Amino acid sequence: MHSDGKQKLLVVKGTTKAFGQNRVLKGVDIAVDRGEVLALIGGNGAGKSTLMKIIMGIYQPDGGQIFIDGKEVQMTNPAVALAEGVYMVPQEPMLFPNMNVLENITMGFKESTLSLRNRLVKIMSEIGWKMDLSRKASTLSIAEQTLVEILRGLLRNSKILILDEPTSALTFDEVEAFFKVVRDLKSRGIGIIYITHRLAEVFDIATHVAIMRDGQITLEGPVANFTREMLVQGLLPPDATHEAELKENTTKIDYTHLKPIFELQNLSGYGFQDISLKVYPGEILGIAGVVGAGRTELVSTIFGRDKVLSGKVILDGKDITGKKTRDILEAGIDYVPEDRHLHGLFKISSVAANTTSALLKDSVMGKLLLNKRQENRITDKYISDFRIKTMDREELAGSLSGGNQQKVVISRALSTKPKLVIMDEPTRGIDAAARGDVYSIIHHLREDGVAVLLVSSDMEEIMELCDRTVTVFQGHINGEFSGNEINQDNLTAASFGLVNNE
Amino acid sequence: MKEFIKKISGVRWVSSLLFLIALFVITGIVNPTFFSYSNIIACFNNSCVFMLLAIGISFTIMTGEIDVSIGAVMGLTAAISGVIAQQNGSWLPMLGWAVLVGAVTGLVNGIGVAVLKVPSLIFTLGTCGVVRGIVYIYTGGRTIENFSGSFTRFGNSTVGNTGIGVFFLMMIVIVAVLAVLLNTRRGKYFLAVGDNIGGAVLVGIPATRVKFFAYILSGIFAGISGIVFASKYGQITIIAGNGYEMSAVAACVLGGISLSGGLGNVIGAAIGGVIMSSISRLLVFLGFSSDYDNTITGVMLIAIVVIDALTQQRAIENARRERLLARAAVSGQ
Repeated sequence: MHSDGKQKLLVVKGTTKAFGQNRVLKGVDIAVDRGEVLALIGGNGAGKSTLMKIIMGIYQPDGGQIFIDGKEVQMTNPAVALAEGVYMVPQEPMLFPNMNVLENITMGFKESTLSLRNRLVKIMSEIGWKMDLSRKASTLSIAEQTLVEILRGLLRNSKILILDEPTSALTFDEVEAFFKVVRDLKSRGIGIIYITHRLAEVFDIATHVAIMRDGQITLEGPVANFTREMLVQGLLPPDATHEAELKENTTKIDYTHLKPIFELQNLSGYGFQDISLKVYPGEILGIAGVVGAGRTELVSTIFGRDKVLSGKVILDGKDITGKKTRDILEAGIDYVPEDRHLHGLFKISSVAANTTSALLKDSVMGKLLLNKRQENRITDKYISDFRIKTMDREELAGSLSGGNQQKVVISRALSTKPKLVIMDEPTRGIDAAARGDVYSIIHHLREDGVAVLLVSSDMEEIMELCDRTVTVFQGHINGEFSGNEINQDNLTAASFGLVNNE
Repeated sequence: MKEFIKKISGVRWVSSLLFLIALFVITGIVNPTFFSYSNIIACFNNSCVFMLLAIGISFTIMTGEIDVSIGAVMGLTAAISGVIAQQNGSWLPMLGWAVLVGAVTGLVNGIGVAVLKVPSLIFTLGTCGVVRGIVYIYTGGRTIENFSGSFTRFGNSTVGNTGIGVFFLMMIVIVAVLAVLLNTRRGKYFLAVGDNIGGAVLVGIPATRVKFFAYILSGIFAGISGIVFASKYGQITIIAGNGYEMSAVAACVLGGISLSGGLGNVIGAAIGGVIMSSISRLLVFLGFSSDYDNTITGVMLIAIVVIDALTQQRAIENARRERLLARAAVSGQ
């Protein structure tokens, strides 16, 4: 296998790790050399983060070896990894918000502040970054925070940088600037492990690629050996059947006699400007764009979570602009949020309690005391309709798999019989089988005449599901597509701000 | 000059100092008899117990935790010091016992909170109960009094004719030393752990050890405050130090130390200690009965915590909105 592997900068061999019964890593080998950028791709739960935490000494592996410059190293804690020249820039920059930039970068060193400062200034001028060192970290943008994290690594003379989805929260311009930084680092001979979900970035920035699925590396080698399609194949489970035929079966909507159920008129708020759109009953309208384009801000503002600055929100002929979330729910809009842990699920409540929690105000659930029989009936219906995999309805929602948790959250949203359902990244981080189930749930909604607003960064998802799609770029709608126009090329171009129709 | 004012107003303990001065001025305006050197110096001289407690607990608060066992630890070491003083013993064994009791309690708290990861309020509430129980067993429920004269005389002695208490002078030295130590890179570990523990671990700061150390310091300072308490008041009841942990927390908050951790300074804790211990005296001069003590302290504490939380939330929210507006505006033209 790696006969010359011992000379490489970093070699990870046969790493295994299990959390209880759950085998997260099943013997993973990766290697990075000086000046290489290894793009590590894979869905959520593939084991990428666990592998990185093992390399950083945060987790201890059950088996396997790590070599740095050919020497075997026991990464017993992060301090060892740091001393060996490994530095991880986490997905969410881990700065000290109450400290200034200089303190943030120099924290954890034994050297004197003065010599650290001198070295830092030298590094910054070498790579041409300017940053006010006395600024408080809490005032930095995400992109600037990521730069501070990288500076921390460079100041430690790190040879190996792990970048965990560094562009996920950056704007388009920031991504460009960031890629320049990565190229600089590459030319300085630093080995980089670059974790990403975006295939396009692999071809932009990486020299090598490795795909991880289900705790194993399914494909690896120099980027030049692969095409985009080959990478997509590597990501799919071996027995994946494409559900494209679903779309074929669905009927086209005849818009001539329809009146929109939901309308935005020149809506502006924090993170988006001048958004106008219409959604018709039984229609799935996609909102495409890159992360950070303002889509989540738009839908959470519609749902009353943030202030409307100007414009109107109209549901079924009624103006609901600036209403409270509770009133908006009452009016008939439901929202399935992006982060089901943070905003969706009651993890230590039962599946039944979760499913019916939006109905608690309703007299269906009993006038004074909770009508347990009603709760069971509703829950059982959704468990069988949505094929929720649970031991029984009393199982704690937090112990379900990601896909099934998502189905519970969607069940709850649907139990109130809404006119419009807003879904924000409904299949992020859930496996292929559960994704198919969620798709068929969305199709059922459409057939029942419910309007769906689908926010998704997954172009294939948009293509699969939507009747019409708008693209959002830097807070503005910059394109609208329907039917055959909804294709990867159009959506990608518009999402990245490249549109021709003026 | 402008730079200097901007810089100094950004330091949180400066506003605490201004608050203290404002309290003195208001009291003086309402009741001019307050404005005498001896009254004001007495406020500082009497603050040593609270200062020690506040400084100690500020370490745990800076790391984002809390230690409510300090009042009980103070009570126990005060009782031990009292018994030693009855036998005309010297300072050294008192100090030894104070450090030992404080360090052992801190060790237990450290194991519970830093290693076993039990929520700190619950765990230290438990140790508080245990230590309070030991006070009862140790004293047999009796009040300890009739100390040797030299012990209590020292507690209330002053430096020459200045009126400045010996203990207060020691406090100034301790605060100055700690302020310098905390400004070293290792000293900043406390704030770093409280600010972002995950980030601290990633840059190689031994977060568990830092929390452990914070608890041991908190215990030792509480232990030493017991000696000062015994020497100052000359009489130790079994409930000595009851509720002092709350005053110490209040002192820290008044001193600009954020209860969510990561923000603050021992100087602030010391100033907060002066404010807390002065309030009862000020109330007397303002014509209130000292029965209002706790209520007024409580109201003040709530007011400051609420203002602090609101301004922080607001700052975060404004920063977020500004970022979002900037992002949407780029393609507006």
